[in-house]
Amino acid sequence: MPARNHKQWIATPPLKSDEWVDSRIYTDPDIFEEELEKIFKKTWIPLCHESELSEPFDFRTFTIAREPIIVTRAPDNKVRAFLNVCPHRGNMIERRPSGSFLEGEPSGTPKNMTCMFHAWQFDMKGNCVHISREKEGYQDRIRKEDQGLRRLRCEVQFGGFVWVCLDDNMSQSVEDWAAGCFDCIREAIETEPLEVFHYHKAIINCNYKLWHDTNSEFYHDYMHYHNRITGFNDEYFARKNVVFDNGHVNVNTFEVKYDEYEGFESRAELSFPTFPPNQWYMIDMFPGMNFNLRGSALRADTVTPLAADKVMIEFRGLGLKSDTPEERMIRVNHHNSIWGPFGRNLHEDLIGVTGQGSAMQTGSDVRRILHGRREDNLIHDEVGMRHFYKEWGKWMNRMPSDPMKKYMAAAE
Amino acid sequence: MSANATKIADAVKDTIYRSCLLLDDEKWGDFLELCEEDFQYAIKAYSPEIKYDMTYFRGDRKELKTMLDMLPKHNTDHSPLKRHVTVYTVDVDEDGKTATAVTSLVVYQNMLDGINSHVDAGENHLFLIGKYIDKFRMENGRAKFFEREVRLDTRRLDKGTHWVI
Repeated sequence: MPARNHKQWIATPPLKSDEWVDSRIYTDPDIFEEELEKIFKKTWIPLCHESELSEPFDFRTFTIAREPIIVTRAPDNKVRAFLNVCPHRGNMIERRPSGSFLEGEPSGTPKNMTCMFHAWQFDMKGNCVHISREKEGYQDRIRKEDQGLRRLRCEVQFGGFVWVCLDDNMSQSVEDWAAGCFDCIREAIETEPLEVFHYHKAIINCNYKLWHDTNSEFYHDYMHYHNRITGFNDEYFARKNVVFDNGHVNVNTFEVKYDEYEGFESRAELSFPTFPPNQWYMIDMFPGMNFNLRGSALRADTVTPLAADKVMIEFRGLGLKSDTPEERMIRVNHHNSIWGPFGRNLHEDLIGVTGQGSAMQTGSDVRRILHGRREDNLIHDEVGMRHFYKEWGKWMNRMPSDPMKKYMAAAE
Repeated sequence: MSANATKIADAVKDTIYRSCLLLDDEKWGDFLELCEEDFQYAIKAYSPEIKYDMTYFRGDRKELKTMLDMLPKHNTDHSPLKRHVTVYTVDVDEDGKTATAVTSLVVYQNMLDGINSHVDAGENHLFLIGKYIDKFRMENGRAKFFEREVRLDTRRLDKGTHWVI
Protein backbone atom coordinates (compact mmCIF):
# COMPACT_ATOMS: atom_id res chain seq x y z
CA MET A 1 0.00 0.00 0.00
CA PRO A 2 1.35 3.46 -0.79
CA ALA A 3 1.71 6.07 1.92
CA ARG A 4 -1.68 6.75 3.48
CA ASN A 5 -3.79 9.88 3.72
CA HIS A 6 -5.07 11.02 7.13
CA LYS A 7 -8.31 9.04 6.95
CA GLN A 8 -6.43 5.87 6.05
CA TRP A 9 -3.78 6.62 8.69
CA ILE A 10 -6.31 6.87 11.55
CA ALA A 11 -8.52 4.04 10.33
CA THR A 12 -9.15 1.15 12.69
CA PRO A 13 -6.45 -1.47 12.07
CA PRO A 14 -7.55 -4.80 10.57
CA LEU A 15 -6.91 -6.45 13.94
CA LYS A 16 -9.00 -7.44 16.93
CA SER A 17 -9.61 -4.63 19.42
CA ASP A 18 -7.19 -6.17 21.93
CA GLU A 19 -4.37 -6.14 19.39
CA TRP A 20 -3.75 -2.41 19.38
CA VAL A 21 -4.14 0.62 21.62
CA ASP A 22 -5.10 4.22 21.13
CA SER A 23 -2.05 6.43 21.80
CA ARG A 24 -4.05 8.66 24.15
CA ILE A 25 -3.40 6.08 26.85
CA TYR A 26 0.23 7.24 26.62
CA THR A 27 -0.39 10.97 26.35
CA ASP A 28 -3.60 12.05 28.07
CA PRO A 29 -2.88 13.84 31.38
CA ASP A 30 -6.32 12.95 32.77
CA ILE A 31 -5.77 9.27 32.08
CA PHE A 32 -2.36 9.54 33.74
CA GLU A 33 -3.83 11.07 36.90
CA GLU A 34 -6.43 8.33 36.96
CA GLU A 35 -3.70 5.68 36.64
CA LEU A 36 -1.97 7.02 39.75
CA GLU A 37 -5.22 6.78 41.72
CA LYS A 38 -6.60 3.54 40.33
CA ILE A 39 -3.43 1.52 39.76
CA PHE A 40 -0.32 2.84 41.49
CA LYS A 41 -2.13 3.62 44.76
CA LYS A 42 -3.83 0.22 44.72
CA THR A 43 -1.21 -2.37 43.72
CA TRP A 44 1.97 -3.80 45.24
CA ILE A 45 5.05 -1.82 44.17
CA PRO A 46 8.60 -3.15 44.74
CA LEU A 47 10.64 -0.23 46.06
CA CYS A 48 14.07 -1.59 46.86
CA HIS A 49 15.99 -4.61 48.07
CA GLU A 50 16.39 -5.40 51.75
CA SER A 51 20.20 -5.23 51.40
CA GLU A 52 19.81 -1.47 50.95
CA LEU A 53 18.78 -1.28 54.60
CA SER A 54 20.76 -4.11 56.05
CA GLU A 55 21.17 -2.87 59.65
CA PRO A 56 18.64 -1.85 62.30
CA PHE A 57 17.80 1.89 62.05
CA ASP A 58 18.70 1.98 58.32
CA PHE A 59 16.17 3.65 56.06
CA ARG A 60 15.38 4.37 52.39
CA THR A 61 13.00 6.95 50.96
CA PHE A 62 10.82 6.72 47.83
CA THR A 63 7.72 8.02 46.12
CA ILE A 64 4.66 6.16 44.90
CA ALA A 65 2.07 8.19 43.00
CA ARG A 66 3.55 11.40 44.46
CA GLU A 67 3.21 10.08 48.01
CA PRO A 68 6.52 10.19 49.92
CA ILE A 69 7.40 6.85 51.50
CA ILE A 70 10.00 5.88 54.07
CA VAL A 71 11.10 2.29 54.60
CA THR A 72 12.89 1.48 57.86
CA ARG A 73 14.48 -1.51 59.51
CA ALA A 74 13.60 -1.62 63.21
CA PRO A 75 15.65 -3.16 66.06
CA ASP A 76 13.43 -6.26 65.69
CA ASN A 77 14.96 -6.52 62.18
CA LYS A 78 11.56 -6.10 60.57
CA VAL A 79 11.25 -3.86 57.53
CA ARG A 80 8.32 -1.45 57.70
CA ALA A 81 6.99 1.32 55.49
CA PHE A 82 5.29 4.61 56.37
CA LEU A 83 4.21 7.76 54.68
CA ASN A 84 7.23 10.04 55.01
CA VAL A 85 4.97 12.83 56.21
CA CYS A 86 4.81 14.46 59.61
CA PRO A 87 1.27 14.40 61.08
CA HIS A 88 1.83 17.90 62.46
CA ARG A 89 2.35 20.24 59.49
CA GLY A 90 2.62 17.82 56.60
CA ASN A 91 6.35 18.24 56.15
CA MET A 92 8.45 15.51 54.55
CA ILE A 93 10.21 13.96 57.54
CA GLU A 94 13.34 12.48 55.97
CA ARG A 95 14.92 14.12 52.95
CA ARG A 96 17.93 11.87 52.35
CA PRO A 97 17.68 8.90 49.95
CA SER A 98 19.13 6.55 52.55
CA GLY A 99 20.94 6.53 55.85
CA SER A 100 20.78 5.45 59.45
CA PHE A 101 18.86 6.87 62.39
CA LEU A 102 21.49 5.60 64.80
CA GLU A 103 22.91 9.09 64.82
CA GLY A 104 20.68 11.86 66.05
CA GLU A 105 19.68 14.62 63.67
CA PRO A 106 20.13 18.30 64.55
CA SER A 107 16.53 18.67 65.78
CA GLY A 108 16.24 15.21 67.32
CA THR A 109 17.76 12.31 69.22
CA PRO A 110 19.45 9.08 68.10
CA LYS A 111 17.34 6.10 67.00
CA ASN A 112 14.34 8.22 66.05
CA MET A 113 13.03 9.78 62.87
CA THR A 114 12.80 13.49 63.48
CA CYS A 115 10.82 16.08 61.60
CA MET A 116 13.32 18.92 61.48
CA PHE A 117 10.59 21.57 61.40
CA HIS A 118 9.23 21.31 64.97
CA ALA A 119 11.19 18.28 66.27
CA TRP A 120 8.36 15.77 66.47
CA GLN A 121 9.98 12.34 66.73
CA PHE A 122 8.98 8.82 65.70
CA ASP A 123 10.48 5.42 66.38
CA MET A 124 11.21 2.73 63.78
CA LYS A 125 7.73 1.29 64.22
CA GLY A 126 6.15 4.63 63.39
CA ASN A 127 5.09 5.47 66.95
CA CYS A 128 5.22 9.15 67.81
CA VAL A 129 7.60 9.32 70.79
CA HIS A 130 8.04 13.04 71.20
CA ILE A 131 6.01 16.19 70.63
CA SER A 132 7.87 19.33 71.55
CA ARG A 133 6.15 21.14 74.44
CA GLU A 134 3.24 18.78 74.07
CA LYS A 135 1.27 19.61 77.23
CA GLU A 136 1.90 23.34 76.99
CA GLY A 137 0.47 23.61 73.51
CA TYR A 138 -2.07 20.85 73.19
CA GLN A 139 -2.94 20.11 76.83
CA ASP A 140 -4.58 16.68 76.22
CA ARG A 141 -6.30 17.50 72.92
CA ILE A 142 -3.41 16.08 70.85
CA ARG A 143 -1.33 13.35 72.46
CA LYS A 144 1.75 11.67 71.05
CA GLU A 145 0.12 8.31 71.68
CA ASP A 146 -2.38 9.19 68.94
CA GLN A 147 0.00 10.78 66.47
CA GLY A 148 1.77 7.82 64.91
CA LEU A 149 2.86 7.86 61.30
CA ARG A 150 0.63 6.51 58.57
CA ARG A 151 1.74 2.88 58.29
CA LEU A 152 1.68 1.14 54.93
CA ARG A 153 1.34 -2.46 53.86
CA CYS A 154 4.88 -3.78 53.48
CA GLU A 155 6.29 -7.23 52.71
CA VAL A 156 9.74 -8.59 51.92
CA GLN A 157 9.34 -11.18 49.19
CA PHE A 158 10.96 -12.91 46.23
CA GLY A 159 14.64 -12.80 46.99
CA GLY A 160 14.45 -9.94 49.48
CA PHE A 161 12.63 -7.21 47.54
CA VAL A 162 10.64 -4.75 49.64
CA TRP A 163 7.07 -4.36 48.40
CA VAL A 164 4.72 -1.61 49.53
CA CYS A 165 1.04 -1.02 48.87
CA LEU A 166 -0.68 2.28 49.67
CA ASP A 167 -4.10 0.63 49.86
CA ASP A 168 -4.95 -0.84 53.28
CA ASN A 169 -7.74 -2.77 51.61
CA MET A 170 -5.58 -4.60 49.08
CA SER A 171 -6.97 -8.11 49.44
CA GLN A 172 -3.95 -9.96 48.08
CA SER A 173 -0.58 -10.64 49.67
CA VAL A 174 2.52 -10.09 47.50
CA GLU A 175 2.60 -13.86 46.98
CA ASP A 176 -0.99 -13.80 45.73
CA TRP A 177 -0.37 -10.68 43.66
CA ALA A 178 2.58 -12.31 41.85
CA ALA A 179 0.30 -15.23 40.95
CA GLY A 180 3.21 -17.58 40.29
CA CYS A 181 5.18 -15.35 37.94
CA PHE A 182 8.34 -15.71 40.10
CA ASP A 183 8.27 -19.51 40.10
CA CYS A 184 10.69 -19.71 37.18
CA ILE A 185 13.54 -18.06 39.13
CA ARG A 186 12.37 -18.48 42.70
CA GLU A 187 14.85 -21.16 43.70
CA ALA A 188 17.70 -19.25 42.06
CA ILE A 189 16.98 -16.03 43.96
CA GLU A 190 15.89 -17.53 47.28
CA THR A 191 18.49 -20.22 47.93
CA GLU A 192 20.86 -17.70 49.49
CA PRO A 193 20.73 -13.97 50.31
CA LEU A 194 21.19 -11.45 47.51
CA GLU A 195 22.86 -8.06 47.57
CA VAL A 196 22.45 -4.97 45.40
CA PHE A 197 25.65 -3.92 43.63
CA HIS A 198 24.30 -1.55 41.01
CA TYR A 199 22.00 1.46 41.01
CA HIS A 200 21.37 4.21 38.52
CA LYS A 201 18.33 6.03 37.30
CA ALA A 202 16.96 7.50 34.10
CA ILE A 203 14.26 10.09 33.64
CA ILE A 204 12.88 9.67 30.15
CA ASN A 205 10.26 11.70 28.34
CA CYS A 206 7.89 8.87 27.57
CA ASN A 207 4.93 7.23 29.22
CA TYR A 208 5.78 4.52 31.74
CA LYS A 209 3.80 1.93 29.79
CA LEU A 210 6.02 2.39 26.76
CA TRP A 211 8.98 1.34 28.89
CA HIS A 212 7.07 -1.65 30.19
CA ASP A 213 6.00 -2.52 26.65
CA THR A 214 9.66 -2.62 25.63
CA ASN A 215 10.44 -4.99 28.46
CA SER A 216 7.43 -7.10 27.53
CA GLU A 217 8.17 -7.69 23.88
CA PHE A 218 11.27 -9.29 22.40
CA TYR A 219 10.46 -8.39 18.80
CA HIS A 220 12.65 -5.34 19.49
CA ASP A 221 15.71 -7.60 19.66
CA TYR A 222 16.22 -6.43 16.08
CA MET A 223 17.42 -3.20 17.71
CA HIS A 224 20.11 -5.03 19.73
CA TYR A 225 23.13 -6.32 17.85
CA HIS A 226 24.20 -8.11 21.02
CA ASN A 227 20.94 -10.05 21.31
CA ARG A 228 20.85 -10.92 17.62
CA ILE A 229 24.39 -12.28 17.64
CA THR A 230 24.05 -14.17 20.94
CA GLY A 231 20.50 -15.39 20.26
CA PHE A 232 18.45 -15.62 17.07
CA ASN A 233 18.74 -19.36 16.73
CA ASP A 234 16.12 -22.11 16.84
CA GLU A 235 16.20 -22.24 20.62
CA TYR A 236 15.68 -18.48 20.86
CA PHE A 237 12.68 -18.55 18.55
CA ALA A 238 11.20 -21.41 20.60
CA ARG A 239 11.05 -19.30 23.79
CA LYS A 240 7.54 -18.96 25.12
CA ASN A 241 5.69 -16.05 26.71
CA VAL A 242 3.66 -17.32 29.65
CA VAL A 243 0.89 -15.21 31.15
CA PHE A 244 -0.20 -15.09 34.78
CA ASP A 245 -3.12 -13.55 36.63
CA ASN A 246 -2.96 -9.84 37.47
CA GLY A 247 -1.31 -8.88 34.18
CA HIS A 248 2.11 -10.48 34.75
CA VAL A 249 4.15 -12.30 32.13
CA ASN A 250 7.23 -14.55 31.98
CA VAL A 251 9.51 -14.81 29.02
CA ASN A 252 10.93 -18.29 29.10
CA THR A 253 14.56 -19.11 28.89
CA PHE A 254 17.09 -20.35 26.36
CA GLU A 255 20.87 -20.73 26.39
CA VAL A 256 22.48 -17.43 25.45
CA LYS A 257 25.71 -17.74 23.44
CA TYR A 258 27.53 -14.87 25.10
CA ASP A 259 30.86 -15.75 23.57
CA GLU A 260 29.42 -15.12 20.10
CA TYR A 261 29.73 -11.40 20.89
CA GLU A 262 33.36 -10.41 20.54
CA GLY A 263 34.93 -9.64 23.89
CA PHE A 264 32.18 -11.31 25.93
CA GLU A 265 32.41 -14.59 27.81
CA SER A 266 30.21 -17.42 28.99
CA ARG A 267 28.50 -16.78 32.31
CA ALA A 268 28.18 -20.41 33.27
CA GLU A 269 30.73 -20.27 36.08
CA LEU A 270 28.76 -17.83 38.19
CA SER A 271 25.19 -18.92 37.59
CA PHE A 272 22.77 -18.20 40.41
CA PRO A 273 22.14 -21.26 42.64
CA THR A 274 20.37 -24.09 40.84
CA PHE A 275 20.13 -21.96 37.70
CA PRO A 276 21.29 -23.76 34.53
CA PRO A 277 24.26 -22.13 32.76
CA ASN A 278 23.70 -19.07 30.57
CA GLN A 279 19.93 -19.18 30.88
CA TRP A 280 17.83 -16.03 30.79
CA TYR A 281 14.37 -15.57 32.29
CA MET A 282 12.41 -12.36 32.38
CA ILE A 283 9.44 -11.42 34.57
CA ASP A 284 7.26 -8.47 33.62
CA MET A 285 4.92 -7.44 36.39
CA PHE A 286 1.90 -5.23 36.13
CA PRO A 287 1.90 -2.23 36.32
CA GLY A 288 5.52 -1.74 35.21
CA MET A 289 8.17 -3.69 37.10
CA ASN A 290 10.71 -5.99 35.55
CA PHE A 291 13.00 -8.73 36.90
CA ASN A 292 15.59 -10.14 34.57
CA LEU A 293 17.93 -13.02 35.44
CA ARG A 294 20.72 -13.56 32.96
CA GLY A 295 22.56 -16.47 34.58
CA SER A 296 25.05 -14.63 36.74
CA ALA A 297 23.30 -11.32 37.43
CA LEU A 298 19.80 -10.24 38.38
CA ARG A 299 18.44 -6.94 37.13
CA ALA A 300 15.39 -5.27 38.65
CA ASP A 301 13.72 -2.20 37.12
CA THR A 302 11.14 -0.14 38.95
CA VAL A 303 9.19 2.70 37.37
CA THR A 304 7.93 5.87 39.00
CA PRO A 305 5.56 7.59 36.58
CA LEU A 306 6.07 11.36 36.84
CA ALA A 307 3.67 12.63 34.16
CA ALA A 308 1.84 11.28 31.13
CA ASP A 309 5.03 11.87 29.16
CA LYS A 310 7.69 11.36 31.82
CA VAL A 311 8.90 8.36 33.77
CA MET A 312 11.72 7.69 36.19
CA ILE A 313 13.23 4.23 35.85
CA GLU A 314 15.53 2.92 38.59
CA PHE A 315 17.89 0.13 37.60
CA ARG A 316 19.34 -2.29 40.12
CA GLY A 317 21.80 -5.11 39.69
CA LEU A 318 22.09 -7.92 42.24
CA GLY A 319 24.47 -10.74 42.99
CA LEU A 320 24.92 -13.17 45.84
CA LYS A 321 25.76 -11.73 49.24
CA SER A 322 28.36 -14.50 49.61
CA ASP A 323 30.32 -13.38 46.51
CA THR A 324 34.08 -13.08 46.90
CA PRO A 325 35.45 -9.75 45.62
CA GLU A 326 36.64 -11.53 42.47
CA GLU A 327 33.25 -13.15 41.88
CA ARG A 328 31.50 -9.87 42.49
CA MET A 329 33.66 -8.04 39.98
CA ILE A 330 32.89 -10.62 37.30
CA ARG A 331 29.19 -10.47 38.10
CA VAL A 332 29.24 -6.67 37.96
CA ASN A 333 30.93 -6.84 34.55
CA HIS A 334 28.37 -9.31 33.28
CA HIS A 335 25.56 -7.06 34.45
CA ASN A 336 26.94 -3.75 33.29
CA SER A 337 28.37 -4.78 29.94
CA ILE A 338 24.76 -5.24 28.78
CA TRP A 339 22.56 -3.41 31.27
CA GLY A 340 24.71 -0.65 32.74
CA PRO A 341 24.42 3.00 31.69
CA PHE A 342 27.46 2.41 29.46
CA GLY A 343 26.41 -1.10 28.41
CA ARG A 344 25.45 -2.49 25.02
CA ASN A 345 21.68 -2.89 25.32
CA LEU A 346 20.21 -0.48 27.85
CA HIS A 347 21.28 2.60 25.88
CA GLU A 348 19.52 1.20 22.82
CA ASP A 349 16.33 0.41 24.75
CA LEU A 350 16.21 3.92 26.13
CA ILE A 351 16.80 5.53 22.74
CA GLY A 352 13.89 3.44 21.48
CA VAL A 353 11.37 4.60 24.07
CA THR A 354 12.64 8.17 23.89
CA GLY A 355 11.76 8.11 20.21
CA GLN A 356 8.28 6.84 21.02
CA GLY A 357 7.88 9.57 23.62
CA SER A 358 8.96 12.22 21.11
CA ALA A 359 6.54 10.93 18.50
CA MET A 360 3.60 10.63 20.92
CA GLN A 361 3.28 13.75 23.00
CA THR A 362 0.30 15.25 24.77
CA GLY A 363 -1.81 16.72 22.01
CA SER A 364 -0.27 14.62 19.25
CA ASP A 365 -2.68 13.22 16.69
CA VAL A 366 -4.13 9.91 17.88
CA ARG A 367 -2.10 6.95 16.68
CA ARG A 368 -2.92 3.24 16.60
CA ILE A 369 -0.11 1.38 18.35
CA LEU A 370 -0.04 -2.26 17.37
CA HIS A 371 0.66 -5.36 19.41
CA GLY A 372 -1.04 -7.86 17.20
CA ARG A 373 1.77 -10.32 16.43
CA ARG A 374 0.53 -13.84 17.05
CA GLU A 375 3.06 -16.67 16.88
CA ASP A 376 1.69 -19.33 19.21
CA ASN A 377 2.90 -17.31 22.24
CA LEU A 378 6.50 -17.68 21.05
CA ILE A 379 9.16 -15.07 21.63
CA HIS A 380 8.02 -12.50 19.03
CA ASP A 381 4.34 -12.99 19.80
CA GLU A 382 3.09 -9.79 21.45
CA VAL A 383 0.86 -11.59 23.91
CA GLY A 384 2.71 -9.95 26.82
CA MET A 385 1.45 -6.51 25.87
CA ARG A 386 -2.04 -7.80 25.10
CA HIS A 387 -2.16 -9.40 28.53
CA PHE A 388 -0.94 -6.19 30.19
CA TYR A 389 -3.53 -4.01 28.47
CA LYS A 390 -6.35 -6.38 29.31
CA GLU A 391 -5.39 -5.93 32.96
CA TRP A 392 -4.97 -2.17 32.50
CA GLY A 393 -8.44 -1.96 30.99
CA LYS A 394 -9.97 -3.69 33.99
CA TRP A 395 -8.24 -1.47 36.58
CA MET A 396 -9.01 1.69 34.62
CA ASN A 397 -12.41 0.68 33.33
CA ARG A 398 -11.33 2.01 29.96
CA MET A 399 -10.85 0.29 26.63
CA PRO A 400 -7.17 0.50 25.67
CA SER A 401 -8.15 0.74 22.01
CA ASP A 402 -10.75 3.44 22.74
CA PRO A 403 -9.99 4.85 26.18
CA MET A 404 -13.05 7.09 26.27
CA LYS A 405 -15.20 3.94 26.38
CA LYS A 406 -15.76 1.80 29.46
CA TYR A 407 -13.86 -1.47 29.46
CA MET A 408 -16.71 -3.81 30.29
CA ALA A 409 -19.30 -2.05 28.15
CA ALA A 410 -17.04 -2.24 25.12
CA ALA A 411 -16.08 -5.85 25.83
CA GLU A 412 -19.72 -6.88 25.68
CA MET B 1 58.72 20.80 43.07
CA SER B 2 61.97 20.05 41.24
CA ALA B 3 62.52 21.16 37.68
CA ASN B 4 62.21 17.56 36.52
CA ALA B 5 58.96 17.06 38.45
CA THR B 6 57.58 20.26 36.93
CA LYS B 7 58.48 18.99 33.49
CA ILE B 8 56.74 15.67 34.21
CA ALA B 9 53.68 17.46 35.57
CA ASP B 10 53.49 19.53 32.39
CA ALA B 11 53.73 16.37 30.29
CA VAL B 12 50.93 14.79 32.32
CA LYS B 13 48.69 17.83 31.84
CA ASP B 14 49.47 17.84 28.13
CA THR B 15 48.39 14.20 27.81
CA ILE B 16 45.17 14.77 29.74
CA TYR B 17 44.14 17.82 27.73
CA ARG B 18 45.16 16.18 24.45
CA SER B 19 43.16 13.05 25.35
CA CYS B 20 40.06 15.17 25.97
CA LEU B 21 40.27 16.72 22.51
CA LEU B 22 40.61 13.26 20.98
CA LEU B 23 37.68 11.88 22.97
CA ASP B 24 35.58 14.95 22.12
CA ASP B 25 36.29 14.25 18.45
CA GLU B 26 35.53 10.53 18.88
CA LYS B 27 39.03 9.65 17.71
CA TRP B 28 39.02 6.50 19.82
CA GLY B 29 42.09 4.93 18.22
CA ASP B 30 44.17 8.06 18.72
CA PHE B 31 43.07 8.15 22.36
CA LEU B 32 44.20 4.55 22.81
CA GLU B 33 47.57 5.52 21.37
CA LEU B 34 48.03 7.64 24.50
CA CYS B 35 47.52 4.52 26.62
CA GLU B 36 49.98 1.82 27.61
CA GLU B 37 49.39 -1.78 26.50
CA ASP B 38 48.40 -2.68 30.07
CA PHE B 39 45.98 0.27 30.33
CA GLN B 40 43.00 -0.27 32.63
CA TYR B 41 39.86 1.87 32.36
CA ALA B 42 36.90 2.04 34.72
CA ILE B 43 33.87 4.23 35.33
CA LYS B 44 32.90 4.19 39.00
CA ALA B 45 30.49 5.96 41.30
CA TYR B 46 29.52 5.75 44.92
CA SER B 47 25.78 5.36 45.37
CA PRO B 48 24.41 6.84 48.60
CA GLU B 49 21.12 5.17 47.63
CA ILE B 50 22.46 1.65 48.03
CA LYS B 51 25.58 2.63 50.01
CA TYR B 52 27.84 0.83 47.57
CA ASP B 53 30.92 1.77 45.57
CA MET B 54 29.81 0.79 42.08
CA THR B 55 31.69 0.02 38.92
CA TYR B 56 29.55 1.07 35.97
CA PHE B 57 32.05 -0.06 33.36
CA ARG B 58 35.55 -1.48 33.14
CA GLY B 59 37.87 -2.79 30.51
CA ASP B 60 41.50 -3.06 29.49
CA ARG B 61 42.98 -1.55 26.35
CA LYS B 62 42.12 -4.55 24.20
CA GLU B 63 38.56 -4.73 25.50
CA LEU B 64 38.06 -1.02 24.90
CA LYS B 65 39.33 -1.34 21.35
CA THR B 66 37.04 -4.30 20.65
CA MET B 67 34.07 -2.42 22.05
CA LEU B 68 34.82 0.76 20.14
CA ASP B 69 35.38 -1.14 16.89
CA MET B 70 31.88 -2.62 17.26
CA LEU B 71 30.13 0.72 17.70
CA PRO B 72 28.92 0.86 14.07
CA LYS B 73 26.93 -2.33 14.68
CA HIS B 74 25.03 -0.70 17.54
CA ASN B 75 22.28 1.89 17.62
CA THR B 76 23.67 4.91 19.41
CA ASP B 77 22.76 8.43 20.38
CA HIS B 78 25.14 10.38 18.14
CA SER B 79 24.91 13.61 20.11
CA PRO B 80 28.56 14.56 20.66
CA LEU B 81 29.92 14.58 24.20
CA LYS B 82 32.24 17.50 24.97
CA ARG B 83 34.51 17.54 27.98
CA HIS B 84 35.56 20.50 30.10
CA VAL B 85 38.40 19.58 32.42
CA THR B 86 40.76 21.24 34.83
CA VAL B 87 43.77 19.33 36.10
CA TYR B 88 43.69 19.91 39.84
CA THR B 89 46.74 17.98 41.03
CA VAL B 90 49.67 16.09 39.57
CA ASP B 91 51.74 14.03 42.00
CA VAL B 92 55.02 12.78 40.59
CA ASP B 93 56.51 9.69 42.20
CA GLU B 94 59.97 9.98 43.68
CA ASP B 95 61.63 7.97 40.94
CA GLY B 96 60.18 10.32 38.31
CA LYS B 97 58.85 7.39 36.29
CA THR B 98 55.19 7.51 37.24
CA ALA B 99 52.65 10.14 38.21
CA THR B 100 49.06 10.42 39.39
CA ALA B 101 46.68 13.22 38.40
CA VAL B 102 43.26 14.28 39.60
CA THR B 103 41.20 16.24 37.09
CA SER B 104 37.82 17.85 37.50
CA LEU B 105 35.47 16.68 34.75
CA VAL B 106 32.27 18.07 33.27
CA VAL B 107 30.75 16.47 30.19
CA TYR B 108 28.15 18.26 28.11
CA GLN B 109 26.01 16.65 25.46
CA ASN B 110 25.63 18.69 22.30
CA MET B 111 22.26 17.40 21.18
CA LEU B 112 21.96 15.93 17.71
CA ASP B 113 19.67 12.91 17.41
CA GLY B 114 18.97 11.70 20.93
CA ILE B 115 15.46 13.09 21.41
CA ASN B 116 13.67 15.14 18.74
CA SER B 117 16.36 16.63 16.53
CA HIS B 118 14.03 19.31 15.13
CA VAL B 119 13.64 20.76 18.58
CA ASP B 120 16.75 19.69 20.45
CA ALA B 121 19.60 19.54 17.93
CA GLY B 122 22.21 22.17 18.72
CA GLU B 123 21.18 22.49 22.38
CA ASN B 124 23.59 21.57 25.15
CA HIS B 125 22.73 19.44 28.17
CA LEU B 126 24.86 18.72 31.18
CA PHE B 127 25.56 15.00 30.80
CA LEU B 128 27.63 14.17 33.85
CA ILE B 129 30.12 15.48 36.37
CA GLY B 130 33.00 13.78 38.15
CA LYS B 131 36.75 13.42 38.15
CA TYR B 132 39.42 11.68 36.17
CA ILE B 133 41.86 9.88 38.44
CA ASP B 134 44.73 8.99 36.12
CA LYS B 135 48.02 7.16 36.49
CA PHE B 136 50.86 7.70 34.04
CA ARG B 137 54.20 6.23 33.06
CA MET B 138 56.84 8.51 31.61
CA GLU B 139 58.30 7.42 28.30
CA ASN B 140 60.80 9.57 26.40
CA GLY B 141 59.48 12.71 28.04
CA ARG B 142 55.85 11.81 27.29
CA ALA B 143 53.25 10.74 29.82
CA LYS B 144 51.19 7.69 28.87
CA PHE B 145 48.08 6.49 30.69
CA PHE B 146 48.27 3.13 32.38
CA GLU B 147 45.15 3.60 34.46
CA ARG B 148 42.09 5.86 34.24
CA GLU B 149 39.26 5.88 36.73
CA VAL B 150 36.33 8.07 35.79
CA ARG B 151 34.86 8.78 39.20
CA LEU B 152 31.30 9.99 38.67
CA ASP B 153 29.07 12.00 40.95
CA THR B 154 26.22 11.61 38.48
CA ARG B 155 23.94 8.62 38.95
CA ARG B 156 21.01 9.86 36.94
CA LEU B 157 22.39 9.03 33.52
CA ASP B 158 19.17 8.94 31.51
CA LYS B 159 19.87 7.23 28.19
CA GLY B 160 23.54 6.66 29.01
CA THR B 161 26.04 6.22 26.21
CA HIS B 162 28.11 3.64 24.35
CA TRP B 163 31.12 5.92 24.32
CA VAL B 164 34.24 6.18 26.41
CA ILE B 165 33.93 9.08 28.84
